[in-house]
Amino acid sequence: MTTCLARLNRLAWPAGLSFSAYGVRVGVRVTDPAVMDEVVARLPIGWKTRSSPRVDHLVSLVVGDREPRRGLTRLHLVYSGAVRAFRTRDLTEALQFLEYHLEEFVAQMAPGRVFVHAGVVGWKGKAIVIPGASHSGKTSLVAALLEAGATYYSDEFAVLDARGRVHPYPRPLRIRDQDDLGRRVTADALGAPSGRGSLPVGLVASTRYVAAGRWRPRSLSPGEAVLELMSHTVTARFRPREVLRVLGRVALRASALKGRRGDARETARSLLARIGQDSGA
Amino acid sequence: MAVPRARGGRRFIVQSLPEETLVYDVDRSRAHCLGVVAASVWRRCDGRSSAARVAAAVGRETGRAVDEAAVWLAVGRLAEADLLEPNVRTPGGRSRREWLKEAALVGGLAVVSITAPLAVEAATCVANCSSRPDGPGNCGAIPCCPPASGNCCRQGGGHNCACKNGACNP
Repeated sequence: MTTCLARLNRLAWPAGLSFSAYGVRVGVRVTDPAVMDEVVARLPIGWKTRSSPRVDHLVSLVVGDREPRRGLTRLHLVYSGAVRAFRTRDLTEALQFLEYHLEEFVAQMAPGRVFVHAGVVGWKGKAIVIPGASHSGKTSLVAALLEAGATYYSDEFAVLDARGRVHPYPRPLRIRDQDDLGRRVTADALGAPSGRGSLPVGLVASTRYVAAGRWRPRSLSPGEAVLELMSHTVTARFRPREVLRVLGRVALRASALKGRRGDARETARSLLARIGQDSGA
Repeated sequence: MAVPRARGGRRFIVQSLPEETLVYDVDRSRAHCLGVVAASVWRRCDGRSSAARVAAAVGRETGRAVDEAAVWLAVGRLAEADLLEPNVRTPGGRSRREWLKEAALVGGLAVVSITAPLAVEAATCVANCSSRPDGPGNCGAIPCCPPASGNCCRQGGGHNCACKNGACNP
């Protein structure tokens, strides 16, 4: 055990939790039990409590002073293993960092799963996967697809298994308005059902919102589709062999389109029509 | 004139699809999609075989009418993708456009490349860190979108946010 972790372990840890998500075992502990509910509310999608304290990764939150004090104010600290990853005067910010850190860790380490940064909806037994960078308009397109009757799977990650099937990652949609981080809206609040089981991918739609743009996509070959998906894959560098194998399976079964888009509703209608054609063919 | 050698001493992961080959360069974190003819040419880039000989072998393998022009066009694209030993020499006196014209009817010559993202590049990020509104938790403490780098952190104890490399420090 490193000296730093040994020193950290000497602190009092009155509350904590061992959980697993997508096969990754994580421990979270806090120095103030009053924040535990807020921590639990920010655990990754699909988390389940574990009774065993053995974990792959340990995250520690040292809660500082809620209000500034005269003299020395104790900061809120987040440790990733033995490494101090974050410190701040703002507890909300510390909790946000914790949430982001846990989500990313699970996405990187999940055994047998490939996480692609993408929006996903289900339609007539097939999934539409929309890979894209942050701020490319994934969420607004997912919302438009839900409005058109699709089933919600994710607005953050396409979680693919070894067969290339996509699993739900039903984090509430993060709809951005003036606040760049966005407000959270559940699919239920949008009147859309959430998917439960895995689906084969029927269509990969790589698109970016451009004001006054029109959706006139070009078809991608399976190899190009793999590169498009890989450009947004969390473990592309970390586990490239597995990533190529899984994405290859997706691309061989799915159609793939790429292009800029304008209005989300118009694009959503076009995507649903396209996947309907492919399914009927 | 002999075709150049494929890159040696690099770790490649190769995955075949029906009409394409995916090549991942582990050392450079680059992924390439080679058309069927380009892939076949790459496999035959041994630094010894003549372009005519490679063209014949590729033609037999792919069932396409591949000529020397197509081989040199593929060589040029493979070299651009850094899949061949450096300082590739091609027959002089012809431009890329002329090779392209001659090889126009041969499909499968495409070479498409990407740089594999870092984990942080394939995740949610903050686009306008410095213009974020005042208030607790508003900086987000998550990565800034490219071209900025680092995390969107609170600045100097106030409510202003800025992208900072490394851990946020108040």
